[in-house]
Amino acid sequence: MHGAPPLSRLAWLLLLLAAGFVLPLFLPQYFLYLGNFLMMFAVLAIGLDLLLGWAGQFAFAHIAFFGIGVYGTALLQIRLGVPFMIGMPLAALLAGAIGLLMGFPATRLRTVYLALATFAFAEAAQWVFNSWDKVTNGPDGLRIAAPNILGYRVGTDQTAFPVMAAILAVMIAATMYLTTSKFGRAMCAIRDSEHVAAASGIDVRGTKVWAFAISAVYAGIAGGMYTLFQSFVNPEVFGFQQIVLLLSMIVVGGLGTIPGVLIGVALLGLLPEVMRTTMRDLLIWQELAYGLILMFAVMFMPRGIWGFISAHRGRR
Amino acid sequence: MSTRSIHHLAAAMATLLLLIGPSALAADPGITDTEITIGLFAPMSGPLAAFGLDPLQAAKMWYEETNKKGGIHGRKIKVVVEDDKCNPNEVVAVVKKLVTVDKTFFVHGGSCTAATVAAQEFVTREKIPHVMLNASGDSAVIPPTRYVFGAFGGTQRTVGATIAEFAIKELKGKRVALIAHDDEYGTANVSTIRAVAARLGAEVVAAEMISPRITDVTAPLLNIRAANPDVIVSTVYPGPAVLVAQKYAEYGMTKIPLAQAVQGIPVPAAFAKNVGNDAALANFYYGSPLNDLTDGPKQQKWLALYKQYYPDRTPSAFMTYGLPSAMAVTRALEKAGRDVTRESFIDALETLDFDSEVVAGPIAFAKDRRDAHRASIFVKFDGKTHTLMPGVYFWNGKDGL
Amino acid sequence: MVPVVLQGIVSGIVTGCVYALIALSLVIIYKSSDVINFAGGEMVMVGGYLGMFALLWLDLPYVFIFPFAALVIFIVGALFDRVVLTGVVSRSVPGHSVLVAMIIATVGLSYVLKGIVRIIPYTEEVRRLPPISAGAPIFLGPVVMQHQDIAIVVAALGIMGALWAFFNFTMIGKALRATSQNPRAAALVGIPVRRMSMTAWGIAAALAGIAGILLAPKLLLTPDTGAIVILALAAAIIGGFVSLPGCVAGGVMLGIVQNLIGLYVSSRAISLAPFLVIMIVLLVRPQGLFAGNVRAKKV
Repeated sequence: MHGAPPLSRLAWLLLLLAAGFVLPLFLPQYFLYLGNFLMMFAVLAIGLDLLLGWAGQFAFAHIAFFGIGVYGTALLQIRLGVPFMIGMPLAALLAGAIGLLMGFPATRLRTVYLALATFAFAEAAQWVFNSWDKVTNGPDGLRIAAPNILGYRVGTDQTAFPVMAAILAVMIAATMYLTTSKFGRAMCAIRDSEHVAAASGIDVRGTKVWAFAISAVYAGIAGGMYTLFQSFVNPEVFGFQQIVLLLSMIVVGGLGTIPGVLIGVALLGLLPEVMRTTMRDLLIWQELAYGLILMFAVMFMPRGIWGFISAHRGRR
Repeated sequence: MSTRSIHHLAAAMATLLLLIGPSALAADPGITDTEITIGLFAPMSGPLAAFGLDPLQAAKMWYEETNKKGGIHGRKIKVVVEDDKCNPNEVVAVVKKLVTVDKTFFVHGGSCTAATVAAQEFVTREKIPHVMLNASGDSAVIPPTRYVFGAFGGTQRTVGATIAEFAIKELKGKRVALIAHDDEYGTANVSTIRAVAARLGAEVVAAEMISPRITDVTAPLLNIRAANPDVIVSTVYPGPAVLVAQKYAEYGMTKIPLAQAVQGIPVPAAFAKNVGNDAALANFYYGSPLNDLTDGPKQQKWLALYKQYYPDRTPSAFMTYGLPSAMAVTRALEKAGRDVTRESFIDALETLDFDSEVVAGPIAFAKDRRDAHRASIFVKFDGKTHTLMPGVYFWNGKDGL
Repeated sequence: MVPVVLQGIVSGIVTGCVYALIALSLVIIYKSSDVINFAGGEMVMVGGYLGMFALLWLDLPYVFIFPFAALVIFIVGALFDRVVLTGVVSRSVPGHSVLVAMIIATVGLSYVLKGIVRIIPYTEEVRRLPPISAGAPIFLGPVVMQHQDIAIVVAALGIMGALWAFFNFTMIGKALRATSQNPRAAALVGIPVRRMSMTAWGIAAALAGIAGILLAPKLLLTPDTGAIVILALAAAIIGGFVSLPGCVAGGVMLGIVQNLIGLYVSSRAISLAPFLVIMIVLLVRPQGLFAGNVRAKKV
């Protein structure tokens, strides 16, 4: 897809914003909580998709940047009283800076090694969150005070919901512009063939490094979103399970497509809740069911649900 | 408007109507003339199901028994059950669902600490009493906050304090080596072990903190051996506990008494089989918050009752841990009277101090105390026979704070 | 001090061989299908439980539980490749997204295996497979080893040797190598590529199963024992992910480093060791320590 995004796409974002303000008025907190959770994951997943689906980089350090975003925003607020509107961007920039730094050595690595090196980085980051007691409070975790947005206290699901929707809308819009820009096309070119891209005059290394940085910024922002509606964080949140969950979301939904990623987030994010309510007497089968769903999803729709739908709609 | 948007709008309106429809007009939700609705949750699937399934069923059992005897002040107890998988995100979702969708009177649940802390801010803000199931819940009950009650089997601080006191007083330890995990349980254990050692004049000569997923305990055990302790205290989980006992024997340390906390040895017979070497257990002790051995005479009535209710399931060692909290709930509801509200329920809980006939010490709360149980017994185990050691050990509520 | 270091090194070698056995399985699959098998740890775990089942319920002599478990898991691995992975590939456009989809498929397999095992109530408690020979520990000077430890080291070296011979001297082995190097050319020469892929998966799975039986006495069995795959991945990376001796060398190095860190830094840092090692090795030598110079991949 090239050129500026069509206005009809932007209309969806307005709907999102409207829902963000209207839904909290009558939905019970439980549903708003689920919504907040999914919106945060959506930003997280889009960020990973930029790197994996658009730029074709098998990098799995994403969850570490998420952690930097959460701990960064929370600590800035708790220790230094920095308000959210400044704290979150700062934490996201920190994540981006580290992502940038990581980009340089990362570009030298081939697929499997890149995947495992970045994965190792994520695990090492989790170890740091768990062991740096003085700063992160270690395994006991951090209690997060209600953030302050321009005087407006945001701590409950109801108050956080519109803000989350707004941030998500902004991030989706940004993604749409990014992927249809020259940079976006460069990423696609690199994904499809580095050699051809280089031959066409694209700065392969530079693009890759910036892809790492931008992806990390997304994760950092998602981390800031976490502090809006959650009151507690501990290092367990940033482990292997989450990386796998994120990856599954974007693959099952549709790599390299915004609607695909959103579908994947919604489906796999809600799947545990759905299974819990529908499999009441069969709770112990949940793990097996989840595994089978993953396997069959990629077996029958390896390009994701959105890829499947698009193919049948005759597009692409 | 496109067809899609119309569909969205219709869905929104339908949801709105569904929610405005029935509304409970009671003073507090979850209470009607004939029923009290309790939201019960625990891990019922996933890696920690063994910690939650049986205690939850035991609590349900107690509520059924109470119903059979006529309920409480003419009301029967109705239970809504949810699975939290011991995952903090799931716990928050489950608690929010129980409170805002199922509209229960209060929430009763939690077998894992981090999960209970995650929900704390919500229940405090919405003023919902939260009574834990068998979670230690250290950071959620210490420091105490009004709405969260827990530690019915003892906090991890209690585990550390009692095992340290046992090691120093009974096993005459002066140079204590400890091995614990680097998670929130381990750090709580270590804080009280060190405090008790300091108070009783013993020295902590080695403190090894290991990952719960460790596969090779060579280095920690070598470090402990090098420090020359005269007693070793361990609070690690079942897998590492076996590894520790094996290596401790391999490295010729069996002359030094080894005391293992309850979390690592849920089923002593299986533990002995896994260690595979009774010589390793020549000087071995384990702790327990119960008032007797897991299958001892004092526990039989609970095991028999469980068999009545769930004949097809052999309960895990943690089953009875679900009972004290359910007992506390029914006692407090009785005390609060017919016109019970969430606040009066909490006030009643605060006055409790009773013998549950399940655990070693009294279940007690106070205005400034939210950890119910502070006692532990110890057992000498040589691989075949259990010998109850004299005395019940208590955490004084102050050490390590 | 010296005996302590020696013990640390010897135990590290043993643990390293544990990682190596699993790593060998991962590398075979990688060389065959370019996929990281995230279900590798679960295959090990299932192998261990199958061994227990065969030993305690079917009353098979210890020697026979190896082929029993190996056969069952061979079938699981081969079927997975034939049904699931082939399905993924056949419905995909060639490109990098296929690889990711295949990796997710292995993640799905890991949940399936774990899920099935967890349903069986027997697995609720920590279990230990009895060791090959329960005897008194062996003392080499001040250093102590269990019989099982020696079995593990011998097995790791033996299997590595057997695999090397297999890949270099047997028809099937050479066919497998040909397929992994250049599938199109292999097909042209008449090698049944699909069947080769199945075979590779089957062999790798069987290997994981055998590793499970060797390791279960040492590692203890729970449905979550598969988490050790991360350490095996680290071992494989150090070795370069392409060579079998590299796996063993990588594993041994990792095992020793972990113990040395535990002895000289702190026990708390042990869990950081594998990840630090991965990052440092890849920073300094991106292709791993034993892969030789970087070879250009065919575009």
